[in-house]
Amino acid sequence: MNRRKKSSALLQQILFVGPSTIFFILIMIIPFFLGLYYSFTNWNGVSSKIDFVGFHNFITIFTNDDKFRDAFSFTARFTILGVILTNLLGFLLAYFLTKPLKTRNVLRTIFFMPNVIGGLLLGFIWQFIFVKGFAAIGTATNLGFFNLPWLGTKGTAFWAIVIVFVWQTAGYLMVIYISSLNNVPKDILEAAEIDGASRGQVLRSIIIPLVMPAVTVCLFLAISWSFKMFDLNLSLTKGGPFGSTESVAMNIYNEAYTNNRLGLGTAKAVIFFIVVAIITSLQVRFTKSKEVEA
Amino acid sequence: MESMKKYRLNTMATELIMVIIALLFLVPFYFLFVNSVKTFGELLTDSAGLPTTFEWSNYSRAWDITNFPKAFWNSLVVTVVSNLLLAMLSAMTAYQMVRRNTRFNRIMFALFVAAMVIPFQSIMIPLVKVTSSLGINNSLYGLIICYLGFGVPLSVFLFHGFAKSIPMEIEEAATVDGSSGYGVFFRVVFPLMKPMFVTVIILNTLWIWNDYLLPSLILQSAELRTIPIATFAFFGQYTKQWDLALPALVLGIMPVIIFFLFMQKYIIEGITQGAVKG
Amino acid sequence: MKRYGKLFLVMVLAFSTLLAACGGKNENEGAEGGAEGGTKTIKIFQFKVEIAEALNKMKAEYEKEHPGIKLDIQTVGGGSDYGAALKAKFASGDEPDIFNIGGYRDLETWFENVEDLSDQPWVKDVVDVAKEPMTKDGKLYGQPMTIEGYGFIYNKDLFEKAGITELPKTISELEDAAKKLQDAGITPFVNGYQETWILANHLLNIPFAHQEDPDGFVKGLNEGTENLVGNAKFDEWMRLFDLTVQYGQKNPLTTDYNTEITTFASGEAAMTQNGNWTQVQIDGINPDLNIGLLPMPINDNPEENDKLPIGVPNNWVVNNKSKMKDEAKEFLNWLVTSETGKRYITEEFKFIPALTSIEANSETLGDLGNDVVKYSKENKALSWEFNKFPDGGMNEFGSQMQGYVAGNVDKNQLFEGIQKSWQSLKAK
Repeated sequence: MNRRKKSSALLQQILFVGPSTIFFILIMIIPFFLGLYYSFTNWNGVSSKIDFVGFHNFITIFTNDDKFRDAFSFTARFTILGVILTNLLGFLLAYFLTKPLKTRNVLRTIFFMPNVIGGLLLGFIWQFIFVKGFAAIGTATNLGFFNLPWLGTKGTAFWAIVIVFVWQTAGYLMVIYISSLNNVPKDILEAAEIDGASRGQVLRSIIIPLVMPAVTVCLFLAISWSFKMFDLNLSLTKGGPFGSTESVAMNIYNEAYTNNRLGLGTAKAVIFFIVVAIITSLQVRFTKSKEVEA
Repeated sequence: MESMKKYRLNTMATELIMVIIALLFLVPFYFLFVNSVKTFGELLTDSAGLPTTFEWSNYSRAWDITNFPKAFWNSLVVTVVSNLLLAMLSAMTAYQMVRRNTRFNRIMFALFVAAMVIPFQSIMIPLVKVTSSLGINNSLYGLIICYLGFGVPLSVFLFHGFAKSIPMEIEEAATVDGSSGYGVFFRVVFPLMKPMFVTVIILNTLWIWNDYLLPSLILQSAELRTIPIATFAFFGQYTKQWDLALPALVLGIMPVIIFFLFMQKYIIEGITQGAVKG
Repeated sequence: MKRYGKLFLVMVLAFSTLLAACGGKNENEGAEGGAEGGTKTIKIFQFKVEIAEALNKMKAEYEKEHPGIKLDIQTVGGGSDYGAALKAKFASGDEPDIFNIGGYRDLETWFENVEDLSDQPWVKDVVDVAKEPMTKDGKLYGQPMTIEGYGFIYNKDLFEKAGITELPKTISELEDAAKKLQDAGITPFVNGYQETWILANHLLNIPFAHQEDPDGFVKGLNEGTENLVGNAKFDEWMRLFDLTVQYGQKNPLTTDYNTEITTFASGEAAMTQNGNWTQVQIDGINPDLNIGLLPMPINDNPEENDKLPIGVPNNWVVNNKSKMKDEAKEFLNWLVTSETGKRYITEEFKFIPALTSIEANSETLGDLGNDVVKYSKENKALSWEFNKFPDGGMNEFGSQMQGYVAGNVDKNQLFEGIQKSWQSLKAK
């Protein structure tokens, strides 16, 4: 009896976890470890000659690579702003769009629409808007904001990326927040209302704690997206002006494929992976501790 | 009476503000649609204004050059099949991981989470080596396998968080009634996970439908091109053929917008199922 | 509720079947594509999006003339980097038979994959400027796709309006012209300095090409015996760089290639630094524009400066591990010797031929192409040294030049910066 139960439990484990694990290992884990191997070589990505160079690449990165450090600092600044703004906007949109507004359904679709365009094309279109559209609005209205040299200075290029990132991802996070807000039991909300709690109080003490699982997910998503941001960076600023907006993902890509130093590039990717993994796991641990059962 | 009026005023103000924000959100789409019917010259010299003439031939040319019906079909097959398999497999995995909190499952889950932060660009060369040794290059099903591998981590992660919130009691009741482990999952847990299915499918659809880099690495034949690859064929080293790329882009995003409108019905259905009074 | 679970299962099953069906079908296609069954397929991997459509038309004609041969042409769009795509292609084992690479550095990178083409019948006709980049140890490894030239594209009508009768041949004359244009209320230059290739390939090439021994200078930089700081040509060249910024439109760093060409083509600026490939785009905006190409002078010696930088952007190469080597060579030979191939090069691709045996078509080339042909024939050409820059040099040097335009660094810091980047990039 017991043994049968055990073997059936094993079968269920294999059936339920097996397929996804196999695909995952084939497509992500094996290439990752292959990449790990390249990070200890000086392979240029083409040649049949691959020399093992030990920790040489890692030493180069830590001792003699200002650009990688700059890219890290840019990515960190971008991530902090991007994560906060996109979650804030995403949550607020979700919060108001779970209220009985007449145009609710249309609005949800509109806020979500930026996601239907892929990152590369989005960047091209926004570049067009920053350079041409903003200039046109600027001449028409004489507002200083639109007359700034968009994408031409360090500051404007940075904010341009932040704006487009928030514009695109807020709607995505909104969907997750909406599905979570919908799961907040209505009887608790009604009870609070009857007890005379203000809307702010309801939001703070009931809604936010109950949507914490969604916050965990959304923060995680936003952090990993903004850390890995590449498409947008490539098509909107190409890392310019004067390399001030080069993200880590782009630095890695350039090192590996433009500079033809695939070994060095993958070594950077390994370091980057470790850093992001540590940060996201800290974040998940932190927000998970704030979750409560409904 | 007084509070009712105040409430309605508040709602109206909220509505107004939201509509204004929505209009701001739509600005890039204005550029997209307006410029998709301009001639190349007009598009570059007057990109903000309304078109003076409607160049609908842009659309028919883009339709022909991209071989749109074929590209659409390829994108559709890849997106639909990857999505369904991905959602099924991930839901099962996540459920199992939540209910059987073994050491193996904990480690796998940690690996899934960690893998989500691997930058794709850093493993693309090793990836094509692996896919070619598996013999799945240059085929739609090979691409689908790649999407399963890359998509599993996030999907499992999302289902995992959701499965934890499903009360144990419901399953226990079903088990007492004599259901097997599979029965409990498919008859009891599965329907409960519906809201998460909707979310996961939406997120994966967007990603797969728009993805450029992965299909460009895996697919080689012209007959297998997906919509993003066909669209990118309009961007050259120097010239960007916006007069063809924009119509192709509009054609490409239409299905997703329609899809979202369709899925939204289910999201709202989910709300009513939650037994809210009007 | 039960229904949903079942529905999903049924759907998944249905699609798995479909999936299996797709898979099977593709495998069959794959088998057909091989050498079996009499037809041979030449796989071509190229990145010139501008000629993709014409190539497909040509493919049909080639296949008709050559029964048993099929061309499989894959064009990589500008969304991704061609170099990365090509590397992925080779890593996947599905190597193309014919692909594109640039000269010098690119040839080094791909050297062990490319076939020696020295014995091909067309080699004797290749113009000299196109030979050197693809030559190693006296052997030629590529067929030049086309010849291109760049300089300052200028608007003849605006020059006339400003009263410029004599075309500027020296830096001082160029400055005078710019002054006259400005006085007439015309913006002299529009600079697309958002693009690093405009800055770090084309503009930065000028002082390199003006060295007495450009090749020796690059070697010296690689070995650490030469220095940009204190080099006379670089000092002179800075005057040109400053001039374009001083008399340029505002916000050069927010101006990308499209904006640059649009501004120029709509007559809002009199000059812009770019090449003959812009003709198609300019015609698309303003077909009646009266334009020409001017050299980019760095000092007051008219003879030294009356030259256009002319070179080969790209070459066709044959994969030396390909099973279709002979067929691939045959195709490249056909491309430059048959009447059909020649017609495509000059009329459909609108290329300036890199072989003396093909006559350029002055009608399809337009004003800019014809100016390049003229300079090329008179042998008034500067070399394209930027193809010898270390890998990644364009991005690095371009960023630093942008920093100079923005006023973040001064001239010496710029030179020192480029020098330092050069050292670190060439280290492997």
